[in-house]
Amino acid sequence: MNNPFENTPPSAPADPFASPFAVDTAPRSEALVFSGRGGEYFGIWIVNLLLTVLTLGIYSAWAKVRRLQYFHRHTTLGGAAFDYHGDPRAILKGRVIGFLLLLGYNISFEVSPLLGMLVLGLLAAVMPLLLMRSLRFRALNTSWRGLRFGFDGDPKGAYRAFLMWPLLSLFTLYLLAPMWHQRMKRYQLDNARFGATRFRFTAPVSAFYRMYGVLLLLLLLGMAVIGGMVLLMIEAVEGRRELAVLVPMAVLAGWVALFLLIQPYLTARLQNLVWNSTRLGAHRFESHARARTLYAITLTNLIAIVCTLGFFAPFAAIRTARYRIESVTLVSAGPLDDFVAGQKQAVSATGEETADIFDVDIAL
Amino acid sequence: MSTSPSEPLTVAALYFDGHSARAWPATLSLDGDALLLAAEGLSRRAPLANLRLSEPMGAAPRLITFEDGAHAEVRDHAALARLLGATGQRDRLTVRSAFDLRMVAGALALLVVVLWGAARYGLQWAAEIAAPRVPEAVVAGLSRQTLELIDEHMLTPSRLSEDEQSRLRGVLADRTTLPHALVFRHGGEVGANAFALPDGTLVVTDELVALAGDDERVMAVLMHELGHVELRHGMRMLLQGSAVALFMTWYAGDVSSVIAMAPTALIQSGYSRDMEREADDYAAAALRAQGRSPALLADMLQRLSESAGRGRKNGAGWLDSHPDSAQRIERLRGRA
Repeated sequence: MNNPFENTPPSAPADPFASPFAVDTAPRSEALVFSGRGGEYFGIWIVNLLLTVLTLGIYSAWAKVRRLQYFHRHTTLGGAAFDYHGDPRAILKGRVIGFLLLLGYNISFEVSPLLGMLVLGLLAAVMPLLLMRSLRFRALNTSWRGLRFGFDGDPKGAYRAFLMWPLLSLFTLYLLAPMWHQRMKRYQLDNARFGATRFRFTAPVSAFYRMYGVLLLLLLLGMAVIGGMVLLMIEAVEGRRELAVLVPMAVLAGWVALFLLIQPYLTARLQNLVWNSTRLGAHRFESHARARTLYAITLTNLIAIVCTLGFFAPFAAIRTARYRIESVTLVSAGPLDDFVAGQKQAVSATGEETADIFDVDIAL
Repeated sequence: MSTSPSEPLTVAALYFDGHSARAWPATLSLDGDALLLAAEGLSRRAPLANLRLSEPMGAAPRLITFEDGAHAEVRDHAALARLLGATGQRDRLTVRSAFDLRMVAGALALLVVVLWGAARYGLQWAAEIAAPRVPEAVVAGLSRQTLELIDEHMLTPSRLSEDEQSRLRGVLADRTTLPHALVFRHGGEVGANAFALPDGTLVVTDELVALAGDDERVMAVLMHELGHVELRHGMRMLLQGSAVALFMTWYAGDVSSVIAMAPTALIQSGYSRDMEREADDYAAAALRAQGRSPALLADMLQRLSESAGRGRKNGAGWLDSHPDSAQRIERLRGRA
């Protein structure tokens, strides 16, 4: 009676048919389902924005946790939702450190170029470790069915993925950039785990070269189309000076439409490439996001955001998240009940927040 | 006032023990001040005070977490609401406000008021306090970079003779004790113009010297520019612009950095009217202290606006960043 917890040990033999998940042994597909709604998220977004402004940015750490919780909890796989557990105080600490680093970096170059180079060198030395810790923080604070994700990457791998490969790609005029990208993804996923079950990343370097190659061809094709249209337009407005102003406007619109293609194309292709070649234990994933659909979503989002002075942003975030999340399916090789927990670890948010403020988004 | 309903309230849930991914279909019910969880071959009881309940987020499941990390996932929101009603629990204000239409509308209105207030008053006040605290080395570095940028894109070397330049420098040195450096440039497209950099560098175009006709009028303009330096207007505008840029980058950051930059550029387009008036007052006081009339500056403003009227080629520049010239001319004449 003194013990408030009357636990029957879970090892007690349970009827296997009592659990809806215990019977599946054949491979089956579990689609990710996203149930977030724009109008609902708008409420969270506006309250977050107001409190962040009123507290001069301090609330942004709490806002981030609520935002991530909203998206995680609305993402369902196999009847259970994801959850986010980040501690806002840890995130705030990370943001302060990140802000100071950014300030120091900006001011040092104003004071003297030598000091600036010194600070830049220092940042280059610290950044890989911060990114490593950011990956660990994000993974350990994400859970599904009560089990935490985890990340066990070591500093050596972090320096290779986030310092050596970027420098190599820089020195080869970005010819090695696709290879750097593959190494980065491999570092992220090969070191990730769910509970005690490891992820495995199998995408070859050639797939990354193919992805960037197609992007390059698309851009060249787009430029040729814009060039052709300009020639046609110049001919059409010949002699009518009042229409001549339309030509530069059309060129600008063409460029904007073309360059807005890059991000959704890479997002969709990368998501497919990464998840189609990632294993979790014996399970695997399928992702079939279409670049053109994501492009249409991005373009309409952007127009709506501009027309509403930014107030469409929460709806846009929901639309994009729904498409990206619902493009992914887990193909399970056995019961999802069989995952077990790994060891629990405490982790600091400093890395993630610093990575955020330096605009290095390396999200999975 | 019945606290115990005749029918026991139960809520369906999925229970996860935190050690494996196994989902246990379970039912939750109240037992006095404790929550009772029952599943096939398992039951546990925990005081309500020791449980953590996640906030409601629309259709998303709510999570009831036990002290040891195990949790129950509830998707039957109506049943859970009845169960919570029986315990007299209430959600935090931030949570309720995010899902109540009136609260959201109120937050939106408050946000607009706060942003307007910050842009109108708060930003200026903060910049005024922060500007004198910016390290000298940073001010000098920024000014040097700005001049380099302007030399690269807008101005060409002055065509005034070296003698003429040093003569004007000598005249100015006699008129002020503030640290400054007077440099000359050929305006070209920019035309007659003068501006001050935060570290006290004063840039004057050949066209402005020609338009002034004599030293006194050049000095009157320079007194106005020195006013901007002394009152740290440049640094204040830069700080305000940076704060707006930081906010816009954070606000619109995930949309596009181009969109984030546009309003910043608009806001940074020049000194505020208040700053121009302050600099006029500074110049008027300085001119009177030198035994000269503030009308000299009014005269220069007149000439600049007339030359601007004749065509954009000459003189429009200085007035572009100096609005309300008619009002200012009148004001300065009043002080003469």
